Amino acid sequence: MPDIVLDNVSKSFTKQTHAVENLSIVIPDGSFTTLLGPSGCGKTTTLRMIAGLDLPTAGEITIGGAVVFSEKSGAFVHPSKRNLGLVFQSYALWPHLTVKENIIFGLEINSVSKNEIRTRLEKVAVALRLDSLLDRYTNELSGGQQQRVAIARVLIMEPSVLLLDEPLSNLDATLRMEMRAELKRLHRETGATIIYVTHDQLEALTMSTHIALLNSGELQQFAAPLDIYEKPINQFAADFLGSPRINLVKATLNRDSLIWNGLKIALPEPVSPNCPNEVLLGLRAEELKLGRAAEKNALAGRILTVLPTGADWFYQVEVSGQVLTIRHNDAVPFVYDDPVYVELNPSSIKVFDDLGKAVL
Amino acid sequence: MMHLRRWRVYSTPERILSICFIGLLAYLVVIPLFLMIQETFIVHPLERFQIPGSKVNDFTLAHWYRFFISDSAYTFFYRPLLNTLIISFGLSILALLIGGGLAWLVVRTDLPLKTTISNWAVVPYILPSWTLALAWISLFKNDRIGGEKGIFFALTGVETSDWFAYGLFPITITLALHYFPFAFLLIGGALRNIDAQLEESASLVGAGRLAILRRITIPLILPSIMAAFLLSFARGLGTFGTPAFLGGPVREFVLSTSLYGNLIGQRPGLGYLAALVMILIGMLVLYMDHKMVGARRSFVTVSGKGSRLGLIQLGKWRWITAGLVVLFLLSVIAVPLIALAIDTVMLIPGIYAWDNLTLHYWIGEASYSVGLGTGEAGILKNSKILLALKNTFTLAFVVALVTGLMGVLVGYAIVKKRGTFIAKSLDQLSFLPYLIPSIALGAALLAMFAVPRGPIPSLHGSFLLLVIVCSVSALPYAVKAGISAMRQIGNELEEAAVMVGASWWLRMRKIIVPIQKSTYFAGMLLPFISVTRELSLVILLVTPTNQLATTISLLFTDRGWYPYTNGIVFLLTIVVVGCTILSRRIMGTSLAKGLGG
Repeated sequence: MPDIVLDNVSKSFTKQTHAVENLSIVIPDGSFTTLLGPSGCGKTTTLRMIAGLDLPTAGEITIGGAVVFSEKSGAFVHPSKRNLGLVFQSYALWPHLTVKENIIFGLEINSVSKNEIRTRLEKVAVALRLDSLLDRYTNELSGGQQQRVAIARVLIMEPSVLLLDEPLSNLDATLRMEMRAELKRLHRETGATIIYVTHDQLEALTMSTHIALLNSGELQQFAAPLDIYEKPINQFAADFLGSPRINLVKATLNRDSLIWNGLKIALPEPVSPNCPNEVLLGLRAEELKLGRAAEKNALAGRILTVLPTGADWFYQVEVSGQVLTIRHNDAVPFVYDDPVYVELNPSSIKVFDDLGKAVL
Repeated sequence: MMHLRRWRVYSTPERILSICFIGLLAYLVVIPLFLMIQETFIVHPLERFQIPGSKVNDFTLAHWYRFFISDSAYTFFYRPLLNTLIISFGLSILALLIGGGLAWLVVRTDLPLKTTISNWAVVPYILPSWTLALAWISLFKNDRIGGEKGIFFALTGVETSDWFAYGLFPITITLALHYFPFAFLLIGGALRNIDAQLEESASLVGAGRLAILRRITIPLILPSIMAAFLLSFARGLGTFGTPAFLGGPVREFVLSTSLYGNLIGQRPGLGYLAALVMILIGMLVLYMDHKMVGARRSFVTVSGKGSRLGLIQLGKWRWITAGLVVLFLLSVIAVPLIALAIDTVMLIPGIYAWDNLTLHYWIGEASYSVGLGTGEAGILKNSKILLALKNTFTLAFVVALVTGLMGVLVGYAIVKKRGTFIAKSLDQLSFLPYLIPSIALGAALLAMFAVPRGPIPSLHGSFLLLVIVCSVSALPYAVKAGISAMRQIGNELEEAAVMVGASWWLRMRKIIVPIQKSTYFAGMLLPFISVTRELSLVILLVTPTNQLATTISLLFTDRGWYPYTNGIVFLLTIVVVGCTILSRRIMGTSLAKGLGG
């Protein structure tokens, strides 16, 4: 059972700054786990430490029960002996070798028999639709083809863990959609654990079984995608996931109710008395409703901007000096300057204290 | 499972490599420099008679006094210094005008024959620097150095005056004609890299061509202009052959010839002092380059993809200009070679008549009655010359291999350890030889290896010492090639191989070197060519038993046997140009790639 366990792993490149700090996480076997975060948050460094290309400055890493790195005992397993494959962001295809030579390089230097090489090559070439490209040089391939070669080169080694470092960032939008589906299929068919690095929250939400959200080298939240989306542990998590960004507005918190612009919202359960009074209210665009007539839980506002995307209508609505982004699909769309009423659903609101921690 | 410490040591050899190379370079460059300074304070065997009451190896300030203060200081130091500065300034400005002008024509106008002109414009740098000096003598010789007058007199009947035939004037001209390719390559590169949009926006607000050139283009390429100027200046400083050939007859000395005369003669202390001064000037010049240009250089590299500004139409001047340029290049490349060749087939120099035609200097037997060169067989039958040629090519080959290997490894170590103190030290150390004028580098290594030191025996007169001095001198170019090769490869290509368990040796052999083979090859071609035509660097270090083609040709010049000198230089030139063309055909490598600042 090759769970990947990071135990208090830290990595610093200089004495002052930490790239990764006290990261503890258990990546379950067979999962599609995404390391998500803004650039510089330490996600690639984490991936490289799992691969063994970067050495942590502290902590321990275990793969399938075997310690592959321990700062304390000095244990270390060579990257090639960890039974994992890494697809680099740049793909790192060797330009002086053909597609075929690129793919079988690892088998050749590990003295795998000719027959075995041929069988395995055939298998991955078909799986990744590369059979007609084997004799090309890599610079003669399109971006998507190059990526498939990079994946084939890793898969032919039959790793139990597949590490992918921002593999879609070099592709155009259409191809990116295609490759997302392809990677999901790959996950299903190989049954390998996939660890995937990206800064694209949409990619993370659509593909993963688990997301590890990182910021400034620290783990923010580790959970299933929709759990993070619906129950973000802090303001950063609420803000980073979801598009458009979550609306954050100031509100006052009492024992059992919230007051936002004079609107009193009853809380599903009372909060602890330690909570501060001044809080931030997180409201997702699709959790707010627009109406033309005044309702009970509604505030009056005015349409500032209309942003249709084809499938959806987004509005920027001004409510007592604050601008909210709201998704609202109605038979008759609103137009600029329409007076509207914004209604919210008390069961879905997120409340954060002055430190950004979720209160509810 | 292995231990962490073992992984750090064995799988990431760049740390060990760096430390080894730092040690090696400190030993071969830094220590010799200090020993050379020490040499300026001690009494050498021949000097104890000049300094009353002294014993060999005594501490003395006499050299410093004689060189800088005494009555003869003018002859020893100030006059050569002045000459050196005049020549270096003159040649740099001239080289800038020629090279810059050619670059502008090739990059910015609709000049025809651009490819040919670009290719030819680099050739003068490939030729031995003193080819032109020899050709100058063949052409413009007057009766000052004895023998018959030159080809120019034979053709026109006009005798050249001394200032035209010898001394500062021809030295400056011939060196400028040798070094202008620097300016051509650097300025041409800068012109090519300017974002056309910068000029187009000036054009849109109504600036004319001339205003654009003056207010936009030239300020943008100013860093390259400065770099080209200072580079030619620094190279001119350390050159030996040309001032020796052209300055000798009128007893005009520059620092390099003064260094040689003193060091080889009776006054080694003064020779080392001259070397020291040259190194200081060289460092000062390149430090200025770094200070004035380094900080500003960044904006030149801002290159855009914007459409190319329309080429300037030369109109009816198009072909005339091209004709003039080709004529100029021919007269710098072909005329000297033809002049040299003619001189090798004239039995009695200076008599240009059919019955004087001979192959004696090429294939004649040793003779005491026919021609010059008493007792010397023709070049192709002369065992001394053939041995020297063999030495030259063996040396060039070995040095190319050594520096090529060092370039790969040092470049690898520097890029891998990038940002660390070790990498910076190694980078600067490997760049150090670039700051040292070549003849002074020879002097420093002479100071180091002329006597046994510790377990290392005296290497004076050994082939190994020649390999060392040439390798050290070529190292900055090789390392530069190595670094740029590694930068282009990037980390991930190597790490992809680490991931499947390829050892360091395997990664170097199967990934890194094959990917960048043409860059590495260019990094080796340059040392090969420069060693083949090297004189300044080795002149202090050769002995009668290990002559090189260049140094043996100098011996013939000393005796006035120009046909031999010219023949040898002619041979070297053919080989060097041939190698360049061949490597271009085979590897697609251009020499320009390895050159540059």
